[in-house]
Amino acid sequence: MLFNSLDFAVFLPIVFVLYWFMAKANLKLQNLLIVLASYVFYGWWDYRFLSLILFSTLIDYFIGLRLNKTSLTINRKLLLWGSIGVNVGLLGFFKYYNFFIDNFTVAFSFFGKAISPNTLNIILPVGISFYTFQTLSYTIDVYKKKLKPTNNFVAFAAFVSFFPQLVAGPIERATNLLPQFYKKRKFEYNKAVDGLRQILWGLFKKIVIADNCATYVNIIFDNYTEYSGSTLFLGGMFFAFQIYGDFSGYSDIAIGTARLFGFNLKQNFAFPYFSRDIAEFWRRWHISLSTWFRDYLYIPLGGSRGSKWNQVRNVFIIFLVSGFWHGANWTFIIWGGLNALYFLPILLLKRNRINTNVVAENSLFPSIIEIFKMLATFILTVIAWIFFRSENIIQAFDYIYRIVDKTLLSIPIVRPSFLLVFIMFFLSVEWVGRKDAFAIEKFFFKKHKIIRMSFYAFLIFLIFMFVKTEGTVFIYFQF
Amino acid sequence: MFNFFKSIVSFAFLFIIFYVVLICVWGDYAPLSFKKNLQYKLGSYGHMYSRMQEIKTVKDIDVLFLGSSHTYRGFDTRIFKNDGFKVFNLGSSAQTPIQTELLLKRYLDSLSPKIVVFEVNPFSFSSDGVESSLDLFANDKNDLYSIINAVRINHIKTYNVLIYSFYRELFNMNKKFVEQKVKNEDTYVVNGYVEKKMRYFVDKPIQKLQSNISKKQISAFENILTKLKNEGIEYYLVQAPITKSRYLKITGTKDFDDLMKDKGTYYNFNYILNLTDSLHFYDSHHLNQEGVKIFNNDLIQRILKKINYLF
Repeated sequence: MLFNSLDFAVFLPIVFVLYWFMAKANLKLQNLLIVLASYVFYGWWDYRFLSLILFSTLIDYFIGLRLNKTSLTINRKLLLWGSIGVNVGLLGFFKYYNFFIDNFTVAFSFFGKAISPNTLNIILPVGISFYTFQTLSYTIDVYKKKLKPTNNFVAFAAFVSFFPQLVAGPIERATNLLPQFYKKRKFEYNKAVDGLRQILWGLFKKIVIADNCATYVNIIFDNYTEYSGSTLFLGGMFFAFQIYGDFSGYSDIAIGTARLFGFNLKQNFAFPYFSRDIAEFWRRWHISLSTWFRDYLYIPLGGSRGSKWNQVRNVFIIFLVSGFWHGANWTFIIWGGLNALYFLPILLLKRNRINTNVVAENSLFPSIIEIFKMLATFILTVIAWIFFRSENIIQAFDYIYRIVDKTLLSIPIVRPSFLLVFIMFFLSVEWVGRKDAFAIEKFFFKKHKIIRMSFYAFLIFLIFMFVKTEGTVFIYFQF
Repeated sequence: MFNFFKSIVSFAFLFIIFYVVLICVWGDYAPLSFKKNLQYKLGSYGHMYSRMQEIKTVKDIDVLFLGSSHTYRGFDTRIFKNDGFKVFNLGSSAQTPIQTELLLKRYLDSLSPKIVVFEVNPFSFSSDGVESSLDLFANDKNDLYSIINAVRINHIKTYNVLIYSFYRELFNMNKKFVEQKVKNEDTYVVNGYVEKKMRYFVDKPIQKLQSNISKKQISAFENILTKLKNEGIEYYLVQAPITKSRYLKITGTKDFDDLMKDKGTYYNFNYILNLTDSLHFYDSHHLNQEGVKIFNNDLIQRILKKINYLF
């Protein structure tokens, strides 16, 4: 079920009413309702893959309990690797099987050995990368004794399958989300209204910004050989806003929906395009995944400690794995590698934590230097996004090659005025709200209620005016 | 919780008022590229405004033509008039049975035709009917049937255009609009026909064309036929000829033919006439004036043979 669909618009109020009226007095019933609702939400897309979620849930639930019962290191390690093996094995099979087979074939052909392997017609289960990482975090935290395993199966199943963030995150840690299923939840007016506000901003980002950028991104990328350097650069910029609007919009809707049910999910995006360097960008972009890799991969590898060589190795590993997590294609791996290259000098010069505050924290406008830094960071990310969006590496390099051309300074051929206006509007609102959890959290709070309500009504109006009626999906569903 | 629901209901109420007002203001002042889901086109393709103005002055005809652009570009009212028929062409761009039903509710009684020629093709039965509804709301008067039609189509574009059309009607804002008789290559001919400047089709490769017949459209289609039968009106289902290169690319044509044969007298002119793509069409699915003449004369002979007792 998509957040931007009529199905969800009917599903959400029904679950909300059942949750707060029918199951209000009983925590177990509320959790059970969340599990059922989550399975309906996921099964709407393809009910057959519910068995995968259930399987992952059962495996990690029982492994968690076993980890608590044994103190033998070897047994504990076996249990941990059992969980990692099953979860990563499922992910590897559904997501990467054909990629490896294809690449082995190419490698063998290169050495003069032609083989004809069997590739499978595998459907990638939506959100498998997200819930696999979420459930793995539980087992690893239990193994590291950071978390007590739960013996409440319904709460655990609700944690793994919690529908607002099941298919595209934020990837929640068991330490944050699971305990919320143990506590009685009380309806809070302000929290619910705040949730609705965040849902609204998420829908605006997805429907008005991302989906409309997608139209022009598809036109430009699909016919990139016909366009000038400036148009191609604009295409890259549109993709940067498409992916940001799409993914952060999804996260906002997820977090807002969770708030309607009394849950607090972690912030997943913190205005990344206002970053002054790549290190800051990665602290602000897809925070739940970046911190997952940081805590479960980067730090166990040694992080930024040790020799220079170890630091370089660790940075490359984390960015390449992050790229590969996004998809079974070399374009994602190169995207990860490119970001590692961007990040490395900052790390080696120990300048990766100089921009930890909010840009222009005490002023309305940024300084000239801050503008320059933000623009430079944005352009670097746009170049990396071109790899992310391209069909293959050759297309990506060719696309960039064609940007760097004398036509880069010409007026773009494709220049949808309405979209440029809305991107400016979007950036302005995000700039004003950059110190908050989401852009419109406190927007117009000091003004009269009527002005605030009119602003929300205007956002809904724009959503209706610019919604793409042929139906769209979220980019991150495929990951 | 009560306060939460109260706030939502109050906001929803205010939002509806805000939305209606903003649609009207947006429609009047926003540049075209900002009106993505408010496509109000007064006098749009196929001289719809002129046709809807003229129909209000026409009464008691012999033959009424209904259907898509194949209709208003395919049935030349002058040719039929020369053969003694009093006719009106009520075709409109991408007209689907849902809009045809609406038009019949409005005009069948005043036109009281003896015969209806209903142009059918797989794509008008597969369409969501949005494009044609927008055309109709913008160029014809709106009433309760328009609202029913918008709800049946259930599309944001139709709701927006309907709100804006009601507003324009309320303030009589289309009063000064005069649709040019000649627009680009199109000339409006009396009684609803649109003649295209003579051109010839140049073949281009076409991909496979698939149609998915919609249940909503079939239901509207059946309502129309029932209405015609109840009124004692003779009707013919006609599939207008299109280029062979296009017709051969359409899947499921036989199923569509079988469906139509079940519903009444059906002529598929793609099999009846042997037209040449490069001589008788101006694009892949519209006849040029040469093609129209051949098509219309053949149809007239068939109608005359079938119902000569009427005249």
